[in-house]
Amino acid sequence: MKQHEKSSAGNGNAAKPKTAEKPAVAASRLDDSVKEGQESASRRKTSKYFASDKQNAKDAKEIEEFSAKRKAPMASKEIHGDVKPPPGKKVHKNEDDDNDEDFVDTTPRKVSTPSKKLKSGSGRGIARKSADVDESDEDDVIGTKSHSKPAGRGRGGKSGITAPGSRKGMVVDESDEDEPGDKESKSAKPGGRGRGGRGSSATPSGGRGRGGGGYGGFMNFGERKDPPHKGEKEIPEGAPDCLTGLTFVISGTLDSLEREDAEALIKRYGGRVTGSVSKKTNYLVCDEDIEGRKSTKAKELGTAFLTEDGLLDMIRKSNKSKTTEPQELKKPVDKVLPSSKKSTPTPASKNHVGSLSTKGAAVKGSSASVTSAKLKSQATEEAWLPWTEKYRPKVPNDIIGNQSVVKQLHDWLRSWNEQFLKTSSKNGGKKQNDSGAKKAVLLSGTPGIGKTTTAKLVSQMLGFRTIEVNASDNRGKADAKIGKGIGGSTANSIKEVISNEGLGLNMERSQHPKTVLIMDEVDGMSAGDRGGVADLIASIKISSIPIICICNDRYSQKLKSLVNYCLLLSFRKPTKQQMAKRLLHVANAEGLQVNEIALEELAERVNGDMRMALNHLQYMSLSMSVIKYDDIRQRLQSSSKDEDISPFVAVDKLFGFNAGKLRMDERFDLSMSDPDLVPLLVQENYINYRPSSAGKDDNGLKRMSLLARAAESIANGDIMNVQIRRYQQWQLSQASSLSSCIIPASLLHGQRETLEQGERNFNRFGGWLGKNSTMGKNYRLLEDMHVHLLASRESYLGRSTLRLDYLTLLSKQLTHPVRVLPKDEAVEKVVNFMDSYSISQEDFDTILEISKFKGHPSPMDGVQPAVKAALTKAYKIGTDSRKIRTADMVTVQKRDGSSSHVIKTADMVPGTKKALKKRVAAMLEPVEESLAEENGDALEENEKNSSDAEDLEDSDNTDKGLQADLQSLKSKGIEVQLNLKGSENSSAKKGSSARGKRSSEPAEKKGGGRGSGSASKRKR
Amino acid sequence: MLWVDKYRPKTLDKVLVHKEVAENLKKLVTEQDCPHLLFYGPSGSGKKTLIMALLRQMFGPSSDKVKVENKTWKVEAGTRTLDIELTTLLSTHHVEMNPADAGFQDRYVVQEIIKEMAKNRPLDAKGKKGFKVLVLNEVDRLSREAQHSLRRTMEKYSSSCRLILCCNSSSKVSEAVRSRCLNVRISAPTEDEMVRVLEFIGKKEGLQLPPGFAARIAEKSNRSLRRAILLFETCRVQQYPFTNNQAIPPMDWEEYVSEIASDIMKEQSPKRLFQVRGKLYELLTNCIPPEIILKRLLYELLKKLDSELKHEVSYWAAYYEHRMRLGQKAIFHLEAFVAKFMSIYKGFLISTFG
Repeated sequence: MKQHEKSSAGNGNAAKPKTAEKPAVAASRLDDSVKEGQESASRRKTSKYFASDKQNAKDAKEIEEFSAKRKAPMASKEIHGDVKPPPGKKVHKNEDDDNDEDFVDTTPRKVSTPSKKLKSGSGRGIARKSADVDESDEDDVIGTKSHSKPAGRGRGGKSGITAPGSRKGMVVDESDEDEPGDKESKSAKPGGRGRGGRGSSATPSGGRGRGGGGYGGFMNFGERKDPPHKGEKEIPEGAPDCLTGLTFVISGTLDSLEREDAEALIKRYGGRVTGSVSKKTNYLVCDEDIEGRKSTKAKELGTAFLTEDGLLDMIRKSNKSKTTEPQELKKPVDKVLPSSKKSTPTPASKNHVGSLSTKGAAVKGSSASVTSAKLKSQATEEAWLPWTEKYRPKVPNDIIGNQSVVKQLHDWLRSWNEQFLKTSSKNGGKKQNDSGAKKAVLLSGTPGIGKTTTAKLVSQMLGFRTIEVNASDNRGKADAKIGKGIGGSTANSIKEVISNEGLGLNMERSQHPKTVLIMDEVDGMSAGDRGGVADLIASIKISSIPIICICNDRYSQKLKSLVNYCLLLSFRKPTKQQMAKRLLHVANAEGLQVNEIALEELAERVNGDMRMALNHLQYMSLSMSVIKYDDIRQRLQSSSKDEDISPFVAVDKLFGFNAGKLRMDERFDLSMSDPDLVPLLVQENYINYRPSSAGKDDNGLKRMSLLARAAESIANGDIMNVQIRRYQQWQLSQASSLSSCIIPASLLHGQRETLEQGERNFNRFGGWLGKNSTMGKNYRLLEDMHVHLLASRESYLGRSTLRLDYLTLLSKQLTHPVRVLPKDEAVEKVVNFMDSYSISQEDFDTILEISKFKGHPSPMDGVQPAVKAALTKAYKIGTDSRKIRTADMVTVQKRDGSSSHVIKTADMVPGTKKALKKRVAAMLEPVEESLAEENGDALEENEKNSSDAEDLEDSDNTDKGLQADLQSLKSKGIEVQLNLKGSENSSAKKGSSARGKRSSEPAEKKGGGRGSGSASKRKR
Repeated sequence: MLWVDKYRPKTLDKVLVHKEVAENLKKLVTEQDCPHLLFYGPSGSGKKTLIMALLRQMFGPSSDKVKVENKTWKVEAGTRTLDIELTTLLSTHHVEMNPADAGFQDRYVVQEIIKEMAKNRPLDAKGKKGFKVLVLNEVDRLSREAQHSLRRTMEKYSSSCRLILCCNSSSKVSEAVRSRCLNVRISAPTEDEMVRVLEFIGKKEGLQLPPGFAARIAEKSNRSLRRAILLFETCRVQQYPFTNNQAIPPMDWEEYVSEIASDIMKEQSPKRLFQVRGKLYELLTNCIPPEIILKRLLYELLKKLDSELKHEVSYWAAYYEHRMRLGQKAIFHLEAFVAKFMSIYKGFLISTFG
């Protein structure tokens, strides 16, 4: 109930400033009555509990002024008390309280300037009253804030955007802008307006000042020189749009303005700034004639030159030449509108207000409150249609830019049926070989440039029925069991759709319109959509309807396979002019006053994302109806589109020539855009930059010492990174990116140069990742070899010892004979050596690989291929006997499921029996491990063979140590099976199978518990 | 079979260098009470040989029967389960491993794996020896946390288990661990001793050694006996009979490092720095530990450097080596050292020669 009233209050209130918007028309009398009506309306709305109270207050006011003054704030307070938002909206409440205080503050101020107000008022203590009106009015706004969402958002947004410190100021501004707004309508009083005006412009200029400070303050090296008299000149206030239609080009260093500031200044007043001089250029702004290309061209074309002072004068003059009146009128209007917009978020209610505003204002006030309730329900239907939906292009021609792509898509879709359906029905799609004829199309491009819209529109236009599947649907692989898709899963229904002839072109048979499947966001197919892309490809192959796939990043790894099956159409970002045109169209339709320059700025800021531009526009429309260049600039300055900065772009920017101008937070943003990759890129590329801070540096000494500093800083970053990763000291992440990216970048930013012949002058990808993985691989290989060497039991060397000391000799031992000795002798020698150290062929390669250095000849160079082949062959011959020696090879064998080989081969080499036993001992553990995993069938084997083995028991073997080992092993049974398996394969070689037998008894006993026993010792 | 392994003394009696140490160890074993031991000394001085000989002395020939396990341990660490792959050498009486290979997970190796091994008494039924021996290599590479957990293990299971630690530098082993061990310093053999060993091998192999050849090898080997023997054999492979002035081939990586050093000395420019980075990467990917690279690089640089700069450069090398151990990406620190050196050296050249 209360809420209802509140919202109606909101609407009623909304009506009020609207009236103020048409000040010229409204007579002062009328205006008064408006106020009055409104006031009462608002009172009525705000609180029915306090209505009488308030009324009293008002009466009292009329009688005795002073008490009224005191009471007004009180009343407003009381209202607030009443207006308190429902529980659970604490934040709002706080805000309310805040504003409350602000109000108390503002009242005295207003009272302190009664002369102005009195002047503007039309007798009868209006000054007070207007103050009162204002307050109640503001109260209402606040009240509505907590209840009717749209209004609340508009307001909240505003205060959110202004810095906390300036928040109060904002409120003050607003309250007294409303006020002059009302007044100005009757009597243009420059004084009061001036205040409002300045208030409004204060924020942007303040912001600019800060920006400039940022530029100058932190590590500003090199680049374009700072303006000699930076910040010394006062920037004049000009008439809005005084430069409209003029085109400027800025050249060289200006006297007092940074170039960015100068551009902003020109744009603010509606001028256009271009990069190079052309016929259209009106002025070339430069303070010193530096004989550059621009000035030469300008002279050729006869373009007028303009100094900075000239520019400023121009702006200043415009202010004087035009009467102050229109501006004054304009400004307050600007400011009034926001509040009106705030509370009229829905087109419906706006229309309503609009229609009402033509009627008498008094009527308006009351009717607003009366009909608002009704309106509300009406409004909600259409209200929350975002502009992006509302102004979605309706015909393909509406699409901004990319018309060629649209046409291509159109052609493709139109010819689809002829191309695929007819042929495929007749002769199995022979025509598919037709170059360029792809059954599907892949649209790619950055978000918000109309891919989905295009797809839909084009299909619509050609009379296709669209089925859209996007990331919100489950797009995993269709369940094969469900087969031809009667299942519920979307994937299956896709299958159904594409394979269903009925939905195809066969118009004679089916009344269905043609269908097209739009797979949106295919690059978003992720973990959940298992096999999604593969399935999609399969679908494309069998599809009887066209499929349009849409993605953002065509080069995504996921889409690699898909790309081959699709006609690729990539959307480009529309130009800012194109966007601005469209935005202007929207703005006009919505009744927003925006100039084109501002929209161009917006288009530029959002980086081609039309959707985002519209969202921004809509958002701004909530708080203002006239949007100027500065507004956009200000709003988007900090929160320019959070685009995905690729690490490369980030590094480019950090090291760019103008990187010294970046603010600290920008640097952090850049380096944090990918806190893992950016430091690596920085590390990879910092050497390549010729630091502009080194200035003239003949012998390169400065650069070298800068490099040393940067390198140290990068190393610091690495140390911090260890702290972060290993000890979770995430609070260091800023410091880490500071030292690993920002400091090196600020030391070395400048021109990039190439260090290698033929290198492209782009930042290389960080080499560390690749090198690190190579290193990991080599360590693994080394470890393998290490284990082999250990298994040979000739040595107990450590891994690093192996690398540092042994490797040279090993490679010499392996390669030298091949180079020196005759073939057969060499081969024999090498193979023997390899055998004695259990070096496998892989290890041989490892040795060569690891001991090879770039620029050094490989020891195997110049060796005859025949010799190499002979070596391989000789090694292969011995393979069977060798496997046993390369103990850890068991892990590999296990994978093959042929672990039995190990023992088998042992058996097959009787001559080496003694040595073998020892090695078998070395093997046992791994073998056992291997079996743990396949014990299921191994067990059967075991039982089969045990009898076999029993017979062989007598043939004892000498390896006591081995036995001891066996005994001590929990799961010894397992390895017994191996032996048995082996014995079976190798026609039961006595010794080993007997050995197997002996321990096979425990194995059988332990059969059940084996799984658990071995699990604890599981091998990889 | 390589000579290093062929002529490795198998028992304490046959030890050629460090005879006194061997005697003492023998006494230690016969007294039946073996404390924890910490062997430390430079590489190639015979620590490992002594340890193996000691084990043999303790347990007899069965300690030779070793099997190699390369298995993955599953360790519960809080919420997650870690897989740690570790190679162990084990016989009935001892287990040898290199816990530092587990990298920064070494803590879990010590806490879980070593503890588990220490807990289990040897299953030797007749068991004269009531304990088993854990040989841990490269304890100086263990992280601080791992060393802390180690000392608890040492105390708690001292009844069933003896630890033999082996490392290069005792300074990197925490005080607490050191004080729980009998520290045995194995110094690098003197050149005379090495010459004696080389001549012994030469005699056994029936080789003709030109006079002074063994001494040259000994000198080249940086007082590492292992390296001396390896070099000796390399020479043998390369050329026999030996000639008096036969070149002794350097280790492949040492050669490469010295190339880098001369690169650096020749030119100090960003371009050269970039090339050096490539070469350092090459060394790193070839599994040369970064500390060794840095040390060797410094050694090579100092050889060519003006004595004025030696102190400063050594300081910076130590500085960056320390930081390299704190950090993770060794190349960053190596490069920082090279850049620093270049900057210093360049400044020096310019100020001296203009």
